[in-house]
Amino acid sequence: MDASLFVIQPASAEPIYRQIVEQLRRLIASGQLAVGELLPSVRDVAGFHAVNPMTVSRAYSLAENEGLLERLRGKGMAVAAGQRTAHSQAARLALLEPQLLALARHAQELELPADPVLRRLGKLLGER
Amino acid sequence: MNAQLRDITQANDSPLAVHGLVHGYEGTRVLDGVDLALAPGSVLGLIGRNGAGKSTLIRAMLGLLEPQAGQAQVFGEPALGLSDATKGRLAYVPQQPEALAWLSATQMLDYVGRFYPNWDSGFVKGTLARWDIPASKLLAKLSPGERQRVDLIRALASRPDLLVLDEPAAALDPVARRELLREVALRAGEAGTTVLFSTHIVSDLERVASEVAFLHQGRLLIHCGVDETKERYARLWLPARLAAAAPSGTLSRRHHGDGSLCLVVERDAGGLWPEAAQLGGARLDALGLEDLFVEIAE
Repeated sequence: MDASLFVIQPASAEPIYRQIVEQLRRLIASGQLAVGELLPSVRDVAGFHAVNPMTVSRAYSLAENEGLLERLRGKGMAVAAGQRTAHSQAARLALLEPQLLALARHAQELELPADPVLRRLGKLLGER
Repeated sequence: MNAQLRDITQANDSPLAVHGLVHGYEGTRVLDGVDLALAPGSVLGLIGRNGAGKSTLIRAMLGLLEPQAGQAQVFGEPALGLSDATKGRLAYVPQQPEALAWLSATQMLDYVGRFYPNWDSGFVKGTLARWDIPASKLLAKLSPGERQRVDLIRALASRPDLLVLDEPAAALDPVARRELLREVALRAGEAGTTVLFSTHIVSDLERVASEVAFLHQGRLLIHCGVDETKERYARLWLPARLAAAAPSGTLSRRHHGDGSLCLVVERDAGGLWPEAAQLGGARLDALGLEDLFVEIAE
C-alpha cells in the first residue's frame, strides 16, 4: 500500500490525524487492508500529501493504541493481527454512528417522525 | 524555580520568542502587546487580514526593525544584536526580496552559498529548473514572483535551523506551492527545523503547521495547536427564542435579522461545550480554521 491510500482534506473541520485514523478504521473493517499488511511510512505519507510528519505519527500512534496497527521492528506499521475477526457487527455499526447522527438531526429539523424515515431507509438497504 | 526565571529559560530554549511587542506607524498601533514563542521543530502559521501587522511582527521578531516596546530573541540572543553564528542558522524570505539585484539568480546563489557550511547546491540546481526561473537573467529584471521564488531557494538551500517565510504562497503556482509545503513539512519533521510562515491561504497552513496564531488588530487572538484549535472551537447557532440563553464571554457574537444568534464557543476545561448547546433547537457546527478566522476577525 502506498501513501495514496489516504484522502486528506486539510480544510475540513476534522483534524488531519483524525481523518487518517478514521480511514484506517474503515479500510481495516472492510478488509481492504488485510492483517499483517504494511502501511506506508510516516515520511511517505507526509511527503505525498505535503502534511506535517508529526500529524501522521500522531495518527499511527493513536491507531496503534486502539489496537488497529502494530509496530513491527525495523519494518514500520502493519495492520494488527486479529483485526478482521474483531470487527463484529456492533463494531462495524459503530463506524456508521456519525452518519446516523447526522441523519437523525436532519430528520428532526424537517420535523419528520421516525416511521417514514425508517421505512425509506429499510427500502434503500433492501434494494441492495 | 520562580515564574520569571522559568520564562527566561523558556525564551532561551526557543528559536524565536517575543514579549510585550508594541509597534506603530504614524500614530496607528500595528502591534499592541504581542507575546509569542516557538518551540524547536514547530511549524507556526501566522494568519491575519491584509494590514494586520504580520510583516511588521515578523520583522520585529527577527530584529529587522526596532519595536517601540518589548523584546525579541532569536535562539536566546537579543534580536537587535545577533551574532554571525546565529544569523547563519536562520533564513528569512521577505515578501519582496530586494538584495543583490545586480546579479543573476545563479550568480547570487553561488555567491551566497559560500557563506553557508551546509549549502545544498543540488537542491538549488533542481529547484531552479522545476520552479521555472530564468537563472541567467538579472534579478532586477525578474518579476516579483520570480524574485521571491529565487529567495525561497536561497533560504531552503542554506538548510537553516530557523526558517521564516513572509507570505511565501503568493509567488508560487499550486504545484510549486505544494512542493514548498512538502519541503517545509519534511524538514520540520526530520531535521527539526523550526518554521514561521505567514499566509492568507489557510489550507496551506492546515497541511503543514503544527500551530496557528491569529493576528488581529495588533493582538494574537488565538495561539494554539492546529488540531486542538479544530477540536476546541465550534459555531453555536441559537434561534431567536433561545437567544437569552447565550453564554457570555464568547470569542464572537453575531446577531441576525431574525433574532437568531451565532457564537464561537469553546470547550471548558472538562472538554464540555456550553450548556446552551444542549438545548433543543440549538445547533453546534464544527469549524475549519478559515471559518473560525472569519467568524472572529469580522
